[in-house]
Amino acid sequence: MSCGSRGVTAAAMTARIPAEASFEAAANVLRISGVSKRFGGIQAIQNITLDLRAGLITSLVGPNGAGKTTLFNTITGHIRPDNGTVLFEGHSLVGRPPWNIARMGIMRTFQDLRLFTHMSVEDNVLAAMEPRSWFWQSGGRQAKNTRRERAAAILNETGLGAKAGVLAGNLSYAEHKFLSLARIMATNARLWLLDEPAAGLDPPSYDLFQGLLRDQVRRGISVCIIEHNLDIITGISDRIAFLDQGRVIAEGAPDEILEDPKLIAIYFGGGPS
Amino acid sequence: MVLLQLLINGIQTGTIYALTAIGFALIFGSTRIFHFAHGAIFVIAAYVFKFTFGDLSLHWGIATIAAVSTAVAVGLLVNFLIYVPIQRHEGSYFTIFVASFGVVIVVQNAIAIIFGRGFVAIETPLSNAVEVVSGLLMAPLFGIALVCSVIILISLHLTLTRTHVGIALRALSQNPELVRTFGLSTRRLSTYAFALGSALVVPGAIFTGAVSGLNPTVGLHIMLISLVATIAGGIGSIWGAAWIAFAIGVAENLVLWQMDSQWSEAVAFAFLLAFLIFRPAGLFRLASAR
Amino acid sequence: MSVYLLNVGVFICIYAILALTLNVLIGYAGVFTLAHAAFFGIGAYVAAFVAMNLSSSLVVVLVASVLTAGILSVIIALPALRVRDEYFVVVSLAIQILCVTVFSEWKGFTGGLGGIVNIPLPEIFGGTIATPMQFFLLALGCLAVITLIIGLMVRGSFGRSLMAVRDNESAALALGKNVALIKTLAAALSSGLAAVAGVVYAYYLSFINVQTFTLDTSVLVMAMVIIGGTGTMCGPILGAALLTMLPNALSYVSFLPQTEIGSIQQLLYGLAMILMMIFRPGGIVGAGRSKRNRN
Repeated sequence: MSCGSRGVTAAAMTARIPAEASFEAAANVLRISGVSKRFGGIQAIQNITLDLRAGLITSLVGPNGAGKTTLFNTITGHIRPDNGTVLFEGHSLVGRPPWNIARMGIMRTFQDLRLFTHMSVEDNVLAAMEPRSWFWQSGGRQAKNTRRERAAAILNETGLGAKAGVLAGNLSYAEHKFLSLARIMATNARLWLLDEPAAGLDPPSYDLFQGLLRDQVRRGISVCIIEHNLDIITGISDRIAFLDQGRVIAEGAPDEILEDPKLIAIYFGGGPS
Repeated sequence: MVLLQLLINGIQTGTIYALTAIGFALIFGSTRIFHFAHGAIFVIAAYVFKFTFGDLSLHWGIATIAAVSTAVAVGLLVNFLIYVPIQRHEGSYFTIFVASFGVVIVVQNAIAIIFGRGFVAIETPLSNAVEVVSGLLMAPLFGIALVCSVIILISLHLTLTRTHVGIALRALSQNPELVRTFGLSTRRLSTYAFALGSALVVPGAIFTGAVSGLNPTVGLHIMLISLVATIAGGIGSIWGAAWIAFAIGVAENLVLWQMDSQWSEAVAFAFLLAFLIFRPAGLFRLASAR
Repeated sequence: MSVYLLNVGVFICIYAILALTLNVLIGYAGVFTLAHAAFFGIGAYVAAFVAMNLSSSLVVVLVASVLTAGILSVIIALPALRVRDEYFVVVSLAIQILCVTVFSEWKGFTGGLGGIVNIPLPEIFGGTIATPMQFFLLALGCLAVITLIIGLMVRGSFGRSLMAVRDNESAALALGKNVALIKTLAAALSSGLAAVAGVVYAYYLSFINVQTFTLDTSVLVMAMVIIGGTGTMCGPILGAALLTMLPNALSYVSFLPQTEIGSIQQLLYGLAMILMMIFRPGGIVGAGRSKRNRN
């Protein structure tokens, strides 16, 4: 966990993020209300209420075990919440299977990436692009060619153009992370849930990653990121939600959250938890 | 009366199944390896006993020691020569399963070549059925088998609850990750699991040999039962496996009351299908979710 | 051409069809099943039934067998595939054994342990297939068509869906793949086409009985796929050819006792399976040990 090596002034941050007004004006993409989940004796998340707005990058931060990944799993249908509702563009998600939720327009990446290791890089991207689970896709040859071209374009954007034929399992660490991103770029999702997508990237890779993310957001994608790295959080978030012990204890613009001494204490340890 | 006889036969069969299933459950629970070769070790132990006791006419104690040592040795060899190398490089559960299956095929055929494919039995006067009560037949060996099984089960229970190794093995069954975190050597524990699990087949193997006879394929059937019992009993629960295996043994015999013997082999599988489809977590689930 | 060679040829084709279709499940979908021989049997028994009672047309028999096997496999797969990966092997084992019990007991349809005899010759385009050469061409033709169908399927989007499910099921779900549907379709494709092998077998021998469709056969076909190489098209065919010719090859080795050829053959491929899994899990055709990647 990096300890904020760049001293970011409040002024610089205010200049970068949209004003509070535009947050309120942005459409509500995902509305989570009162979601809880218990595993045996552990209350993983409790009464979570959170709004994700269109066209914004929201960061979920908090110490390990705060329930961030569990929250993602609840949204994407990998786990069923004990109570609460999750509305995506007005439609309820609870109870739907993960693949159904994915097709509605929400896609996620995993902390452990979960690439298709015995398939080529290009096939990983194509697989993400082919929506039907049937023997063939609709659209015929023309659609197939369009998909291949689009796959090639995405691979170039993520710097993987030269590795299209390589087996996904044989890539370097950074290439793995970019392939994970490329897969999600290949889908038509409108909401991205990214679980520590930039962890361990060197500065040039990180810059590429940040650029890609900003591009997608400009094209209308809404993003929610789980991150631990403070540099990353301060660098790209429009909004921050702070989780601790399964609850959202703070939510707002980055400068509010990151200047709050109580939250900093919790995050860096030593404070009340 | 027939029903009671079938029930007694069932208890006999069930006890043997339970013992073998426990060995498999211990190994599978601790290592998560589909140790299909467990059935092969059963066959080897049985034939070793038959050879030393029957063909060489040595004392049954010596024969038992021979059987146990062979079983443990083979179990450990299979682990070190086959499973460990595979886990070191590729390690998918299927690769290990296939290799284990390969061992079964090799052993089955090797024994067929050496000892022939027909049924052989371990000859002992103790296996001759004696009329206990009018109409009810029971071999004295059955009584011995029952007493031995109870002793073994009690000792096993004590081992698993009182000794360090036993407790560690149970912990491993329930949560492999946690055990590693606490610094216990999973490799050493696996060795214990294989040794103990393999030794546990011997009583069942000997009794099967004496009571129903042996042929090279007898390991497969009992392996399937152990597999079913371990899964239906719930991963991580050794007693669950024992109970289910016992129930299968009883059911296999009771089924004969109404249907002919072809169906009794299917009983175990009907059991399994029902459990896996309706209660995939098993009856007595103790292991943590993955 | 010598009748002996044609005979071997027919059997290689039959087993190649079985191996190729099994590979769809094992190699591409990552679904490990031991129930393949059961569908081989279903194909054969349906073929015999239709040929003897309904129609002597080859086309009708093929359609009936493929459809029956396909539909049955879907019915079985739907509940069975809900089970976790590793346990599905055991479920498939159960299905295989239950099917064998049905084959042995349903005397009205399968002839019980005695089997079915005097299956008539197939008719197509007005003529009959009767000579060894004609049967060989039939078997080869079926193999070619099935290779084409499977090849097309796995090179396209369905192949990618299968492999995605094989490599990482949770990621596939997260990307919108209906994993249950994909596995069920794979089962239908695999089992339906395996029935074609049953049809050819039933016609060629004019006689079928349950012994051919037991667990031993499932294991043999699995060995063919594994030794030849999973996840490729030529691997299974190579494996089928090798293992089919093995007993014949062994009979030429003079010091081996003829009565034990069967056991020796099994022992050898059991050994091959073990060694393959340790040293070359990709099979003969595969790429040797792949780089270990914890992802």
